[in-house]
This record gives sequence, structure tokens and C-alpha cells, in this order.
Amino acid sequence: MLQPKLKSKVRCTDLDIGEVSKVVLDPLSHEISHIVVSMNGNGERQVAMGHVQAVTEDLVQLGTPSRDILALPPFKREDYVTTHEVEISHLEDNIHVTPGEVLVPLPDLEKSVKRRTFFMNFTHVIGFLIGLPIAYPILRYLMKPMYADFDNQWLNVGNVSKIKKEDVGVQFEYKKKMKEAYMPEYEVEKNVWVVRATPELLEKVYQGKDEEFHDAKGTVIWTNKKEMPYIAFSGKCPHLGCAYKWRNHKALGPVFLCPCHLSIYDAAGNVLDGPAPRGLDALPVRVSASGEVEVIDMEFKAGTKAQVRIV
Amino acid sequence: MDSKHSSPAALPDHQPSTIEKLVAFLDERVGLKEMQAKMLNEPIPGGSRWAYVFGSILLFIFAMQAVTGTLLMFYYVPTTDHAYDSTQYIIHDVDYGWFLLGYHFWGSSAMVVCVVAHMSQVFLWGAYKKPRELLWLVGLALFGIVITFGFTGYLLPWDQRAFWATTVGVEILDKTPIVGDFIARFLKGGPTPGQMTLSRFFVLHVMILPAALMALAGLHLFLFRVAAPAGPFSGTKEEIKAKTDYFFPRQIWKDMVGMAFVFAGICALALWEPVVLLDQAAPDPGDYHPEPEWYFLFYFQLLRLKIFAGEFGQFLGAVALPVVFMALLVALPFFDKDPERNIFKRPIALISWIAIMVVIVLFTVASVINREFLD
Repeated sequence: MLQPKLKSKVRCTDLDIGEVSKVVLDPLSHEISHIVVSMNGNGERQVAMGHVQAVTEDLVQLGTPSRDILALPPFKREDYVTTHEVEISHLEDNIHVTPGEVLVPLPDLEKSVKRRTFFMNFTHVIGFLIGLPIAYPILRYLMKPMYADFDNQWLNVGNVSKIKKEDVGVQFEYKKKMKEAYMPEYEVEKNVWVVRATPELLEKVYQGKDEEFHDAKGTVIWTNKKEMPYIAFSGKCPHLGCAYKWRNHKALGPVFLCPCHLSIYDAAGNVLDGPAPRGLDALPVRVSASGEVEVIDMEFKAGTKAQVRIV
Repeated sequence: MDSKHSSPAALPDHQPSTIEKLVAFLDERVGLKEMQAKMLNEPIPGGSRWAYVFGSILLFIFAMQAVTGTLLMFYYVPTTDHAYDSTQYIIHDVDYGWFLLGYHFWGSSAMVVCVVAHMSQVFLWGAYKKPRELLWLVGLALFGIVITFGFTGYLLPWDQRAFWATTVGVEILDKTPIVGDFIARFLKGGPTPGQMTLSRFFVLHVMILPAALMALAGLHLFLFRVAAPAGPFSGTKEEIKAKTDYFFPRQIWKDMVGMAFVFAGICALALWEPVVLLDQAAPDPGDYHPEPEWYFLFYFQLLRLKIFAGEFGQFLGAVALPVVFMALLVALPFFDKDPERNIFKRPIALISWIAIMVVIVLFTVASVINREFLD
């Protein structure tokens, strides 16, 4: 691309007509589209680059006679903005109109500095040495409450007299005392579903084997005997942790149904339909002589095929 | 004689007013006029358009969310024993509290709608292509921040809706391979949602996310100015040049009209659909059927599909699907190197966009229809 310089003389085919006073850039192509020629006292004319034949160090040669240039309308400054007043990135990248480089002297103290790269790397090392020792404390600080011991307390959730029919899900709502870090002790409402099972249903649940429950170390803390007719299911849906209900399904009859993602379980807790990866979670349960139901309120990770205890 | 009148010829024709003096003072020191000129004089190839208003509208919505959010914090207390009551107090007792809360609530919905509109416009116009890849990537990060804003803000009122959306949302994150359990516990600050969860979501919502959004939105704007607007996807150079105008006044006018409409819309929703809290959060939902915010309904319904059943299905739906979708968006400007921007000459892009929109609409409708079968 031709690079006409500011202050260059402008020569027509017949004579010199003035000098380059401005350069006009095309905002889309980022190329020089016109030069503005100051006509030795006869005002300014805007000359398209098409007229320019050659550009040398201090001369712009036009392929047009001077009368054609003089006949052009005067340059209208108000139709233009400077490149400082408009946001067009990289507009000046292609153009080298500045007559020579603009320089400032290097301060004396900077002249003898040899190890610039060393000092640059040194700042990075210092930054790293500041960041590294606080990274671990910050991580531990944020992780503090993440892992808690399992709570193996037995909780009374109600009396079996509430259950009127066998093989039917009955919701037992109860309050659990909670203590979290600095917060005052408070009660949360929770629920389990208790089923008084017929022998057939018991067989479906236990398949002839007692169910053992373990603490974090793997020691057996409780065994649900396969003959005990009461089953307590955690109120948390093993799909994604919603709360399911006992509902009458048009096709499947009475079932446990989760309203969130429509997982369906039979009274034994087995998956009948929907996205759940495993059946309902039976909890350790015991019933006193007077019919009081007690459970260990365990919680398991939702969405996994295997039971993973988290509370 | 008064010195003022001693040499009247020395007085300029026009005495600058105090404001003009102040402006001149500032301009001399910081170059205000040049800065203003640069901000307003940005050529828009092919001229201003209504399709370009969404970026400005998003900035406006964010500013309003920051204002209303700060005001809500005057009364809101992020503890499990006071979050619900303090939110109820804002709704029922504080003058215009219901309005500011409603505005903040519906503002978040407007944000999601406008983000999707903005992304769709950029996608359909092919404006993510070279040299605007970085602009697109930062935009995707901002999209993630907006979604996280919605997710964290949802918990703060500590009602049943909040509790269950968070419970299920975190369970979804828990399905991430290897780090899922850590992420879930890290977010909840423990094995189950409680005070630690509320504290963490609060800090994310009012401190970390706003800082991240401001930084990235600044970067987004900077990259936008460096790369310049893409302009229309069809037309010759001459046609585009003939229609080119500056950001001010025509585009700003369109942006302002857009903002006014959005503002009126959010106000109307805050007025006619005020926020009503459900019961206080508890692990026993009673009769409430947990459901996420409306813009997550399609995904909620998607997770009900049979193909997302079981442990592997769940990994597909909860992790692989969103990750692959986002990864495709990230990779988009790097594999789609065809410079053609006209959407009518990019059939795969057009069909993909329509398909995604149809899926979102259909699954949202399906989840709404499903509601009545649940009771």
C-alpha cells in the first residue's frame, strides 16, 4: 500500500500544487482512501488515492493535471473526526504517516540495568512465595465443615398404631434436634415412610437375608431382622434427593412416587419405573413393646447404584 | 472604580458557567471529552439495529440487580433461623420491600431471557467467528455466572422452594466423576444443606459472583471494542458502508427503548406477580412438589426421561449432557472456521438452534402439563 507522508510535496503532471496536510482512512478496510492537499494558500482539496501514481520519501506524484485538482470541491473538515475521537481498533496499524519516530530519552539509572529478565522472574517468585503458604490454610479453612461423623442415635418417630393396613406406605413425620457449628440448637422436620409388611413383602425386601448397618469404621451397629414386619424407608428419594409420596398410580396401583423426576417404587422399595438408580433406602428400625417406632436417621447419597452413607 | 469595569475589552464574549468550568477542569486532567467521544463514536457496520440491543440491556439489568440486591441486604439476614423471617419482613413490613424483592426476583428471570436472546443473536449472526473467538468465550463464562447467580440466589429466602432446588441442584453436581462428592460437600459446607450452605451461597451471590461478573463484563466490553462490532451477515461492502452509523445516537436510542421496555416488564411482573414465599425450608416438604425456577424446568423434565435412568443414565443427563453442550459452545468458533456468516447459508447452525429452542419449549410445556398429574 502507498504510504503518503504528512508534509510531503504533492506534484501534479504539470507542477507542484502543495503538500499533504491530512490523511483520510477508510474505517472498514483500514486503508488510506484519500490525502488532503493544502494548496499553497488556495485552501484544501481531498484527493482520492486513485490519483496517486507514486510515493517517495518526500513527494507524492499524482497522475492528474493541476487544474483537475483545483476543480475539486474544497475539503470539508466538519465531515471528519480524528482517530482520537473515534473507537476503531487497529485503525492506524496499516499506516505510517508519522514523519519519523517520536522518542523520549531513557533515564540514566535504567541504562546500566542488565538483569531485567532476572528481576522480572524474581517478582514472579516472590508472588508465588506469598501465595503458596496461604493456599493450603485457605483450602482447609473452607473445608472445615465438610466432613462430619455419622450420628447413630435412635430417634422416636411415632407409634405403629398409626398404621391401619399392611403393605401400605405411612408417613411418620418427626422433629430432629440439630446443632450446627455456632448456631443455637434447632429442630428440623423430617420424615420416614413406615410399612407394616406381609410375609410376602418381607421376602421381597430382605430376600431371605437380614440387613446389616455399619458405622464409618465398618463395624455392624444394627441388623434389621428379616422376620420383623416393620420397614422404615428414608424420606429421601435415591434419585436426586427429593421427597417422595405414597400415591395411587393409574396403571401400577398404590406406589411410592417422587414428584420431582417421577421415580416409582413399590411398597418393598423396589424401582418400578422412572430414573432412580436403586430402590428406597431402608433404615435401621426397631419397635418397642408399646409400638413406638425408632430409627437411626441415616442419609445416603442420591443417584448412585450403591448405597453410600453421608449422614 | 470597580476593577471589573476598568478594562471591559479584556472580558471574553462568553463567561463560562460553573459547570463548564468544572468540565474544563476535569477534561484538562483526564481527557473527558476524548473519552466520551471514543465511547460514543463507535462505527456500527451496516448501521444500528434492534437485534443489537441485548448486550446493553443485560448491563442495565445487572446494574438494577446490584442496586436492588444491595437494598435487600439492608434487612436480609443470611442465617437459617432468620433468613426466612427477614425475607418475610421485607415482603410484608418494609415499605416497598415487596416491590424491590419482586424486582430483584423477576430481574433474574429477565437476565436469563436476555442472555439467551443475546447468545442467540451472536450465534445466528455468526458473530462468534474469527476474530471474535475470545469475545465469545468470555461471553460463555458470563453465561455460567448468570446461571450460578440464579442458582445461589434461589436458596437465600430459605423457603421450601429454595431448599429443594438447592438439594436437587447440588445432588446433580455430586454426579460429577471423581470430584463430585468434594464439590457437593464444598458447596453445602457439610453432608446436608444447612447454615453453612446458606453462608456459602450468600457469599457467592453477593460478593464473588458480582466481582467476577464485573471483571468479565469489563473484559467482554474491552474485547468487543478491540474486535469491533461484526455488523450484518449479508450485503456488499458498499451497502454496509453506506448504512454505517455511530453507536450514538441511533443505537443508543434503540438500547434505551429496549431498557425501558425491560424495566416496565419487570415492574409489571413485580406488581402483578409478587414474590410469595412457601413454608420455611425443611427436609420434609409436606404437600409441596419440588420444582426449579421456570428457566430450569426443561432440564428438570429432561432428567425424567428413561434414557437418563440408572447410575450411568444419570451421569449422562446430569453431567455429560450439560458439559458436552458447553464444550461444544466453547469449541464452536474453533471448528466452525467457515467465514460465511449468513445464517441462511449455514443450515447446520440454523437447524441446531431451532432444535435446541424447540426442545426447551417442548420440555418446559411438558413439565407444566405434568404438574396436574401429580396431585
